[in-house]
Amino acid sequence: MTSEIWLGLLSGIAFGFVIQRVGATNANKMARAHLMIDADIPRFMLMAVAISAVGLLGLQASGVGRILIIPTSLMATGIAGALFGIGWGLCGYCPGTIWAAAGEGRMDAVFALLGGLAGTAAFAHLHENLIPLLYGPTNVGQITLTDWVGRKPLAVAILAGVFSICIWAISMIWGRKKSAVHQ
Amino acid sequence: MQKKDIPPPYWKWIPAAFALAGIILFIFATFGPPASSSGFVSTLKGVIQTVSPAYVETKEHYSMLPDTGSWVFAFVLGMALGGFFAARTFSIPVREIPEIWEKRFGKSKFKRYTATFFGGFIILFASRLAGGCTLGLFISGSTQLAVSGLYFGGLIFAFAMLTARIVYGSIAKEEK
Repeated sequence: MTSEIWLGLLSGIAFGFVIQRVGATNANKMARAHLMIDADIPRFMLMAVAISAVGLLGLQASGVGRILIIPTSLMATGIAGALFGIGWGLCGYCPGTIWAAAGEGRMDAVFALLGGLAGTAAFAHLHENLIPLLYGPTNVGQITLTDWVGRKPLAVAILAGVFSICIWAISMIWGRKKSAVHQ
Repeated sequence: MQKKDIPPPYWKWIPAAFALAGIILFIFATFGPPASSSGFVSTLKGVIQTVSPAYVETKEHYSMLPDTGSWVFAFVLGMALGGFFAARTFSIPVREIPEIWEKRFGKSKFKRYTATFFGGFIILFASRLAGGCTLGLFISGSTQLAVSGLYFGGLIFAFAMLTARIVYGSIAKEEK
């Protein structure tokens, strides 16, 4: 129990530090990413996932790490993705960056944090009504790419390949000029 | 824009991606899939159960996650500390209102704070419906090859890009 808290705190500090340094807690930079001007953050996210997927394959091969697959509900995951995207595009923060940005001293992130707590409370109150209505009926279970292609290393290779193509496409399509210095 | 001879204070995306992936793998090895929207539930559970323990017990959403004495709460608290340390050691001071927002909607703090409160509300409402956020569902999920994470990831990027176009409209063209 106690060790879990220290590990969580340590992981959070490291995570918060890195996302601040790459500019993900800067809502101006995030808006410019969404407007296809600044390519840094989407490329950073996709590359971090691709490396992590390869690394996790290694961890699992050596019997380390805990896995938990969140089920796919076509309707609930779909509606949530659309709503989340609207909120993300509007304010430029997501649940993780909200905490780090608030820690940086950004007051608009503090209000996003308060709004987030209110949104969480609202959903928690309606959980018993909404989950059976939206999540249950179209829940297709804990499916992964491995279920489709058969072998896990192949699935990881496909994921890394597709993400690399996305990164390349983002580099081509998003604004070409260097924008790393832009606050 | 700053002058060219001043090195950009932000990290380049490739080394930053390696740094983040290292942390993600550390978390998988020492805890499990990283998540941050769960931290909101734990925060609320910790607060509400001191006032009304009966309410927390009857609600499924609070029963399925731990309270503040947990990894998920320590993680979000750590993120705030990480942001704090990072800002204290960074060359650019934080702005009260993002530049692009100010160009579009002016200097009104009330407008910006109302928008981020509302944005935060729907982001967390949606995350709790899907069972995760950018980190807990898209990043963690896709790392584990989960279809839910890839599906959610595609949608959040698409809708955020569309919304940003609507919100910033003509400013988007000027920015280029």
